[in-house]
Amino acid sequence: MKTMILAALTSAITSASPVQAQDVRISTFKSDATFSLNGREFIVTRDQNTAATLQGEFALTSRACPPNCIQPMVAAPGVVTFGEIELLAFLEGDVTNGNGLLLDARLPADFADGSIPSAVNVPFMTLAADNRFRTDILRALGAVQDANGALDFSNAMALTLFSGGVWSKDARTGIEHLINAGYPADKIFFYRGGMQAWVHVGLTVQQTQNPG
Amino acid sequence: MIRTTVALFCFAIVICGLIIFRPFAGGDEVAQDRLGTPTAVEDTVTRAAASDLSALAEAAAAVAESERPEVIDRSGLIDAPRRIDVARPNTDDTRLSDMTNNVLAELGFAGVEPVTTNSQAQRQSTSEILAGIEAATGQTSILEDQDTLEAIVIAALRAGETDERIDIIINEAAASGNVAVPEILVTSDGRVDTHVLLNNIVNQANRAAGGQAPSIPATTPDNTQGMEVIVVQQATTAVQSRFYTVQSGDSLGAISIKFFGSIEFYEAIFDANKGLLSSPDRIRVGQRLVIPQIDA
Repeated sequence: MKTMILAALTSAITSASPVQAQDVRISTFKSDATFSLNGREFIVTRDQNTAATLQGEFALTSRACPPNCIQPMVAAPGVVTFGEIELLAFLEGDVTNGNGLLLDARLPADFADGSIPSAVNVPFMTLAADNRFRTDILRALGAVQDANGALDFSNAMALTLFSGGVWSKDARTGIEHLINAGYPADKIFFYRGGMQAWVHVGLTVQQTQNPG
Repeated sequence: MIRTTVALFCFAIVICGLIIFRPFAGGDEVAQDRLGTPTAVEDTVTRAAASDLSALAEAAAAVAESERPEVIDRSGLIDAPRRIDVARPNTDDTRLSDMTNNVLAELGFAGVEPVTTNSQAQRQSTSEILAGIEAATGQTSILEDQDTLEAIVIAALRAGETDERIDIIINEAAASGNVAVPEILVTSDGRVDTHVLLNNIVNQANRAAGGQAPSIPATTPDNTQGMEVIVVQQATTAVQSRFYTVQSGDSLGAISIKFFGSIEFYEAIFDANKGLLSSPDRIRVGQRLVIPQIDA
């Protein structure tokens, strides 16, 4: 009953609004995801061309393994895995509230070719212990360093990491590095599908967001 | 009956606890703590390096700029007192040759151009990431400046410090955890091998001035403590294998100099001993290393 009312309501709103009817929606009742990050607005929709197919890099099915091996569902103990709906909820919730950040764990060159709107490029290897500036990155993510050099992550941001696709270990490696650095696993999320799953369902891709 | 069972159960738990936590077991660090004093072998290493140094110093001094002769005109390397604790210094992937190159470039050696070290590359990429995070969150983040070994060495050489003082300065900085050093400078007792560091500066200065690469020293079991040569007779040929037992105060760089005359061959030694060494800074007294044959 409740669902029916909601459906009626939604269709009423949709038909009343000037937006054109969409053939390709994110979900039945959701045509787009709108969120903001530090005052910048982002809108994610799906490609309305129902005949669109993947082209180029993300049309590849058979990258050599190793190194591009199929990744498990769970990145690390305590790290929740996201699909697209959960990722969009994260962007509309935590990221919009300033409590979360979407990290693209790929290399800068891949990031520059296009990424998920609002994502920040943090290549996975810069989170490794051998980056002597790692603490600076962790502090930028909200960790607080005390006088003894220990990091307190209680106010650190929630992070969702992704990389190229289910065949890429980069996001998982980044997550492992973060956990080894002491980042709490319950503040880390894993978008396993990565860039390939994102473009595979025609979601909006944004060109380089990082300045410089 | 029930008491016996409970007593046995408690006993089993205590035993399990002892097995898991091992309160009486000595760790690696404890064992290494006792190796804090130099041995006679250390002198051998020093003399070997020192004789190389004096020859190289003369050659380099001839071509070096005259206002800084004290930088290289120094051959008496002196053993500084050993640290008692052996927490190993922090290491990073900066190559000693890159670092030395930049020290020479900074000191104004002709023909030496600075190269981008891994550290500088990391700093660059990190500052880009921070800019990205900053743009996203609006919160300013600052990249903290850290002391680099390069800066310490340059400052010490400019100040005309003695080798002994340089040894103390660098080891104090390393002990406080403020500076990371190249892995091949870490000795078996957890110090920074400044003999190798200074030797390599002289060596690279010499080569930058057009000098020859140092020749491969004649290292034999007679003049090198810890060295063994084993000859294996095969069907047609006799294969000679060289082994070296790590002595107190050795670093991988020092071993490379001992057998090959310069630090560049540390990778060959490390590769030949991958089963024994997890990383080049993890050498321990008593490890028996294979010394590879290198065709010059």
